[in-house]
This record gives sequence, C-alpha cells and structure tokens, in this order.
Amino acid sequence: MTDSGAESASPPSVELEAIRKRFGPVVALDGVDLEAFSGEVHALVGENGAGKTTLMGVLSGVVRADEGVIRIAGRPVRLAKPRDAWAAGIGMVHQHLTLVPTLTVLENVALGVRSAAWGLRLPFDQVRSRLDALSNETGLSVDPDVVVERLSVGERQRVEILKVLYRDPRVLVLDEPTSVLAPQEVEEFFSVLRGLASEGRTVLLILHKIDEILAVADRVTVLRGGRVVHSGVSDTMDSGSLARLMIGRAVAAHEPPRPSEPGAELVRLEGVSARGSKGEMALRDVHLTVRRGEIVGVAGVDGNGQRELALILAGAESPEFGTVHLPDTVGFIPADRLGEALVPDFDLTQNVALALTEAPRYRQGALLRWGRLRSATARLMDLHGVGAPTPAVRAWQLSGGNQQKLVVGRELMRSQNLLIARNPTRGLDVAAGRFVKDELRRMSRSSAGEEGEDPPGVVVISSDLDEVLELSDRIFVLRRGRLLAVPEDRRTREFVGALMVAHAGDPSE
Amino acid sequence: MAELALLTSFLAASVRLGVPLALAALGETVSERAGVINIGLEGSLIAGALGGALGALAWSSAFGGILTGAAVGALVAVVFAAFVVGLNTDQIITGTAITMGGLGVTGAVYQARFGLTGTTLTLPPLSSVPVPLLHRIPVLGPALFDQAPTAYFAVVMGILLWYGLFRTEWGLELRAVGESPDAAQAAGVRVRWTRFWATVFGGLMAGIAGAHLALDSGTFIEGMSGGRGFIALAVVVLGRWNPLWVVVAAIFFGGASALQFSMQALGWDVPHQFFLALPYLLTLAALAGWVGRARAPSALAHPWPKTSI
Repeated sequence: MTDSGAESASPPSVELEAIRKRFGPVVALDGVDLEAFSGEVHALVGENGAGKTTLMGVLSGVVRADEGVIRIAGRPVRLAKPRDAWAAGIGMVHQHLTLVPTLTVLENVALGVRSAAWGLRLPFDQVRSRLDALSNETGLSVDPDVVVERLSVGERQRVEILKVLYRDPRVLVLDEPTSVLAPQEVEEFFSVLRGLASEGRTVLLILHKIDEILAVADRVTVLRGGRVVHSGVSDTMDSGSLARLMIGRAVAAHEPPRPSEPGAELVRLEGVSARGSKGEMALRDVHLTVRRGEIVGVAGVDGNGQRELALILAGAESPEFGTVHLPDTVGFIPADRLGEALVPDFDLTQNVALALTEAPRYRQGALLRWGRLRSATARLMDLHGVGAPTPAVRAWQLSGGNQQKLVVGRELMRSQNLLIARNPTRGLDVAAGRFVKDELRRMSRSSAGEEGEDPPGVVVISSDLDEVLELSDRIFVLRRGRLLAVPEDRRTREFVGALMVAHAGDPSE
Repeated sequence: MAELALLTSFLAASVRLGVPLALAALGETVSERAGVINIGLEGSLIAGALGGALGALAWSSAFGGILTGAAVGALVAVVFAAFVVGLNTDQIITGTAITMGGLGVTGAVYQARFGLTGTTLTLPPLSSVPVPLLHRIPVLGPALFDQAPTAYFAVVMGILLWYGLFRTEWGLELRAVGESPDAAQAAGVRVRWTRFWATVFGGLMAGIAGAHLALDSGTFIEGMSGGRGFIALAVVVLGRWNPLWVVVAAIFFGGASALQFSMQALGWDVPHQFFLALPYLLTLAALAGWVGRARAPSALAHPWPKTSI
C-alpha cells in the first residue's frame, strides 16, 4: 500500500501543517507536519512526552491546537470538540477507554449516533444487525447485550473499536491499541487493521513496541520533543534505526537475566480458590511459592483471575478456600496508575505519603512529618528519575512513565519484602519501560534494604508476554483461574502465548 | 361500609398528597439521570407555589397559575444550572443556597405584595376532573380517577419520561451524561447542554408541583413547600431513578402522610410520626440495597469537566 502514484494524484486524507500546542510553559507540539493517505497504516511513534497523544487529541477534537491547519481530504477543518471530529470522518479509539460502564455494548455503540428523527426512537434492531455485520467483517466479536463493566479490558477494547467503526470513519485513529491484547490477538488485530486500510480508510496509530511498528505500519512518523524527526516508509527501517530515531541515541542492549539465587520463602499459596466480583470462581486451586531474590512472572490475558490473584497476594482479600502465607508488608503496583495507584489531584509528596503513614520514621504521634516526607519524595524522584520540576506538582500532570516510576519507587519504600506488579510497563514508551523493568530486576537481585537485608521477591502479573519472558526467573500462566507452570525449557513466545489463549472463548467451562 | 369509605378516602388522599411529590420527583429524576442533583428543588417548588398563586390571580384561572408556576420554577433552575453547569460550582452547596434564597425571596415578595399580616388569598380552585366511567369503580374509582388534572399529568409524564429515558436516543445520551460524561463527550454528546436542559426541566416540573400545592390548598402560605423538595429527592431514590417507580414511590410517600389522618379517624393510638418516618426508612433500605438494586448515576453531583487542560 505504498503506491506513490496514488499519493500524488489525490490529496492526503489527513494533513497537519505546523501544528503548535502549549500547555502553560510546556510546548507539547512545536510545529508538527504530518501527512497520511487513504489505504495506509501509519504509525506515530516516539517517547512518552514526545507529543503523540497530544497530536491525536488535536485530531480527535479533545485538544485544541494553538496554531496550525488541519486538512481532511484536502479541505481545511476546525476540530474544536469531539463532535467536529466525528463529523469530519475521524474516529478515535482512545487509550483510556471511553465506554459507559453501566450501559450495554449495544447502547454504547449506539450512543451519540442520531439515526431517528429528533432522536425519539432507539433503533436497537438496526444497531444490532449492523454490529453483527461489523463483527463478522472484522472478526471482533462480543456479546451486544452484556453490560460493559462485566467485560475484561481486552473485550472492552474490542467494543471501543466496533463503536468507532460503527460510525464508518474515513480516518481511524488508535492510541496504543495493542497494550491489552495477547500476542496471538495482536497478530489478528493487525490483520483487521490492514483490512480496514485496504478498504480505503486511513489507519493512524500510536505504538510503542518496535517489532509491532515494523510488523504493521506502511509508514512511520517519529516524534521527538514535539517535533517530527522522521517520516518514511517502514520498509527502510529496522529496529535499531527506529529506536535511535525515537530516543535520539542508541539504546544499550539490556543485560541478560542473571540466574537468581532464591533465598528464604516469602509467599506460600496452597489450594487457593477465590470468587471474583461477579461471584464466579475466579481462582481455582492455585499453588504458588515466592522466594526472596526471584521474579515470578504470571502471564495471562486480563480477566482470567489476574485481579483476584493480585488482591490475595497484596493481602487485600482472603480466599474462599486454601491457605495463604504472606510477609507483613507488601508493595503493590496496580494495573491502573491514575485510578488505583495515585490520587491524581494530590501532589507527589502527598501521593508518596499515602503509602508511608504507618512508618514510624515519618510520624510523630498522630502527625505526619511533612518535611521528611518531602525530602524522601525528592530523593525518590532523584533515585528513580521521575521527571518533574518539584514534588509539589500534581500526579495527573506527570507523563505515564513518570507516574509509574513514582509508584515503583513508593512501593519499594513501603516494602522490602514483596512487590506485586500488574502490567508494570503498560502504556510506557521503550525507555521508560526499560527503566521500570531494570528497577524491578535490580531490586530483586541486590539487597535493596538500607540495613543490607535480603533482596525482596517480585511477582509480575501481566498480559504483556514479552515483559514476563524478559523479567521472570520462573513463569506461570493464569488462564480461567488456573495457574499453570511453564517448564524451564519451554520458555518461548509461542508456547507461553498458546497457553495464554488456549480455549479462549470456549463456553464449555 | 364505613371501613370501605375510609379506605376510599385514604387512597384518594394518598394520591392527592403524592401528586406534588411525583411531579417534583419526575423532574428531579431527569436531572439526576444527567448527573445533576438539585438540592435547590425546594427553592423551585416554593417559587412555583408563589408564581402559581400570582399567576392564577392575574389570569383568574387555575391553568394560568400552573403555567406561571412552571415558568417561575424553571427560571429558578436556570439560575441553579448557570452556576453548577456553567460555572462548575459544587452542586450541594449551590442547591442549598438556592433553596434558602427561594424560601426567603418568596416570603419577601409575598409580604411586599400582600402586607405583613397577609390577607388570606383565595385562588381559583384546581377542580378535580372525573374520568368518564372509570371514576365509578368502587373504592379505586374515586381514588384514582377523580383527581386534579395535575395528577393525570404526573402519570402521563411518568410514562412519557420512562419511554424517553430508556427507549430513545436522547434518553440514552442523557443517561450516558449522568453515568460517564467523559465517555459521552467522546461519543459526541453535548454534555453541558444536556445537563443544563435536564436541570431546567427539573425546575419546571418542581414549579408545577409548587403551583399545584398552592392551587390545591386554595391559597399561598410562606414556606408552604414544607420540605417537599427534599422528600422528592428521597422519592427519586426509592423509585430507583425510574420514572414509573418514581410515581409509585411518590404515592407511597403520599400514603404515609395520608395514613396519619386515617389513624385519627379510626382512633388508633399510634404516633403519626411513625408513619411519616416509614418512607424514609424504606429509602435508606433502598440505598443500602435491601429493596432491589438502587444505584445512583455514577457521575451524580460530579462537576464536569473535572480539570481543564
């Protein structure tokens, strides 16, 4: 789909010219030019803070550009709100999913589309049949009558995409769509995207993983510091050159995992079964031990008992059956940074303080020692490279990568025993993800405690197979509530990936 | 026979006392479904009562009073909506101010117009309209089918609003705004516009409720809304934000007030406060999830947009 003849004949379906956007003193977009053509899959890549999400916001009417021109199919348009973007034929699949949890799939798909006169009817039959047709066409299937809050993250994303496709956009914009999918699902998903492009649509997507970018994109535009540093056909790039373009320097190959020397036993789960939020058996007869100094990886697609396992390991819930032995303190890195880990409107010191209110060092009677907390936060920011001018900024003002660094650092302060991490690098760019992974590895290997204690144990529960393979000393797969051990000699993408999705969607169980 | 007559009058009184609650609660259901809780309902109600009285006098017609009451109630809600939707102020605090202001201003207007002693107003009556044939049904007929026009209006509105909320595209949009304004906006729904008009509609219905109150009692008395705006908030909860159940819940609350009169007639020695408290206990039970599932719209009372970037 890199037909240069077509490019010169018809105007680009999306054309951005000298787009500028400032947020206070921060220049997010510094004169960005972008051209995308119908029939192509166009990847927008770059580090966190490079301006990708802002640029997508400009295209979807969520963010208003200060300067610049947007042309759709050659015509200048003004995109002041999401309605304008819909009207211009731009459909946006957001990274933070934008479905109404209490409505059904069908209602979410129909929301905002007026098909009846004055909106005085709700043509559910019509919506249902079009949704069925779309599902068949794209292979994205989902039960239309189920309430969205009962769906897993991966299923919600399918709904989100179907909802956007329902409006038949000319330009499809997707912000990190693969972050919640299993490897096998990613390949299927990419073929869906290619199919959509071959129908004459433009598919613009933000991606972080270099191999995915090279696998799906016809063209790649690289952003760095709010500017386009490169735009070209993906065939001419390899992973090394792309990484250099994104980061602006060569990335050091990461250290191969050092064999661990497991220490004392920290966690023992025996025959643990637990119910999920809907009363179903979410965990069935789970056995697991974790020792000091090792990283245990639990791969699996979200919604297979991940949440329940994490809650039990964090000591937040008790199982229905079985026995649980945990250390007295546990650090917990939740899947949702802004929803669960941090209070968005609190400043960084306050967010750090949330985890340390029990620590005698930071208390004086019932009072907190804010001075110590502030300097501890500053030290933490220094140690973990949290990019923020002062500890007084609000958590929501940080980029995703910096938020995660703050959470990791805070949870390390909370516990030197055990750290539970759910999808720790989801949504992070290469460098930030690398950093978080290195932190987890480093702390599990060295004696992290100030008094020279034994290193802590780490459990990584993740739907990102690469993350699990790269980090873990031992690997398990959690599928349909059962924890399956992966033998040492079968630690391959193919084997573990197949275990993750085997019988997925099988209604018999 | 005497018991039957008592039952008939009890049912009729339940409906009659339930009507203003139903009207106000139906309007509030719509605004709460859009995510706006209007504690200022009492303000709209009392303003509607005064507006209804003045309008009925000016036009020499009960119907004119209802229309004026509706307009005045809506106007009060416009002020409320301008603050909470336009300026994103806190809904609870603003609503409280509107209620206090409404009670104060109506008192002042009334005194300015009719003097401190207050000659008792005599308003054109809101006469009941019997439904042909149906009103002859024993016991139920007089209770349900020999009521003021506003009572029939409340029932019709209950059905219309149920259809509107759950069977139309704008109803879906409105509910989405109350559940998740961000998602609604991303889908292209006009969040503020929806919230504004839903709130104004709520005020309009409360205004009609107030006008009904004045015309039904034939006069205006300062503070005559008597907390019905707050009771209506409880009715919405007990009715689980569903217009049909809201009408039922309103009549139930009306029945609790009516019961005290029946008790007196029967000479029973039960403190009437017990019956007045009963609906509130049930409302608490509904909130606690003991009486079916009562879940408020997720974004109820949340200002939007939360942060402007």
